[in-house]
Amino acid sequence: MTDRTHKVLVLVPFPMTSEQLEKRAEQQEEAKLPPSIELHYRSTRAAPSGYVSAHDYVLADITLLEAGMKAEEEGFDAVCIDTVSDSGVAALRSLLTIPVVAPGKTMFITALMLGRRFGVLSMWERWFGLYERTLRELAMEDRCAGIRSIDTHPDSRNLLDGKEEEVLPRLHEVALQLIEEDGADVICLGSTTMHQAHGYLQERLPVPVLNPGPLSYLTADTMLALGLTQSRKAYPAPLQPKPEMISAMLTAAADTESTP
Amino acid sequence: MSRVLVLVPFALDEASLAMRRAQLTEATVRPDVTYDFRPVVAGPSSFQSPHDWLLLDVAILEAGLSAEADGFDAVVIDTASDSGVDALRSMLDIPVIGPGRASLLFALTLGKSFGVLAQWEPALGRLRKSLDEWGLAAYCAGVEHFDTEPDFAGLIGDKRVEVFPKMEAACLRLVDAGADVICLGSTTMHEAHGYLAERLSVPVVNPGPLSYKLVELLLAAGLSQSRPAYPRPLVPKEAMIHAMLDAGATGS
Repeated sequence: MTDRTHKVLVLVPFPMTSEQLEKRAEQQEEAKLPPSIELHYRSTRAAPSGYVSAHDYVLADITLLEAGMKAEEEGFDAVCIDTVSDSGVAALRSLLTIPVVAPGKTMFITALMLGRRFGVLSMWERWFGLYERTLRELAMEDRCAGIRSIDTHPDSRNLLDGKEEEVLPRLHEVALQLIEEDGADVICLGSTTMHQAHGYLQERLPVPVLNPGPLSYLTADTMLALGLTQSRKAYPAPLQPKPEMISAMLTAAADTESTP
Repeated sequence: MSRVLVLVPFALDEASLAMRRAQLTEATVRPDVTYDFRPVVAGPSSFQSPHDWLLLDVAILEAGLSAEADGFDAVVIDTASDSGVDALRSMLDIPVIGPGRASLLFALTLGKSFGVLAQWEPALGRLRKSLDEWGLAAYCAGVEHFDTEPDFAGLIGDKRVEVFPKMEAACLRLVDAGADVICLGSTTMHEAHGYLAERLSVPVVNPGPLSYKLVELLLAAGLSQSRPAYPRPLVPKEAMIHAMLDAGATGS
């Protein structure tokens, strides 16, 4: 096995300023990544306004597919996406032979390596559909003790900045309900945008707390270290890939957003 | 620097331990993590009946009981049966990883179903029991064996010319049965991993090396098993467990 540096592309699901992208990139400080992993953050060119309806899910899928579909020819060794929704992952896996990590699935599966039933701690009830979709796909609904939120409209660009005092204690309180009332023995953070709450919660809760973004980077490292990637049999390649069409669609999509 | 204890499920000599240790070359492990291989002091002679499984649970529990006090940061079990893992998790705060359940779960990050490669017919009972206990039977496209008696000390060794093609044929049956991913059903199969991965059209998960990377992942993320999932005993009986194994070693 070689010990060379691996370049990992992290796709951020919203167009962002470099300052906002920097907040997403802070996640890499929350796990001890090996020096052989180099993360490169890239935002999508267009996006839905949030991830709360089937309309949004479709837009999230196509915008993330477009942002990552050339990752392999660009010289990346793996792709992570910076959203627990796993948007775009299945389509990216069908095009790329390098590993594409799905943070949502990975987090639920890792939770089962540490405990029996996990709870999903979310910011907002309107995100529940995303978790339910992944749990259904994994056929792991019965391993989920509960999904609860603090009922706050999240800010996917500025994250928790300035709201820590209000938000963190409420997240703690709701996480305790997942543990004590629902029987969760592992807590999964319901969004990579909640990464700033991870340290606070892990210090205060009696069970492991999974931080999906950093976990996805470490999982990419695991796959690369073992020479593993997604199964082509599970993610068949298209008969005819349409990268030009997808690119043109996103250029058009970005134009509609920039036109006043 | 982190130190990981790898518990080997048979009372092996140094030459056989070296064959187990060779699994470290099959993954890129972190330079700041060291792996110490420690065999159990006594145990079953094979691994096909509930009698054997029980003895191995006790033997591995005993071998790992002092891991935290010995200064280790994590424990890995060198058997895909995950023998002793639950009991060790109930006693230790440091992460304990069993390659069996973890490799099947990890396969689900790569595909939607897995097939398990078993050694021989007598191994099927334990595999089916594990699949049920771990709640993973629904994801299993099949279990196929290659009809070869296991050699826990010598592994596959110089029998590879004869054995590797039989393993490949069994894997192809799993792929035909719908497996997206192949999981090697024992850490003793690690010598065949490269051969199989090169020839098969689906990912092949090598449970031992995967367990090292997972333990590195848990250490890097600051994670360990959940205490509510693995509650402590009211009264730990370390002295009793050590005495039992000392007696077992003398008696075997």
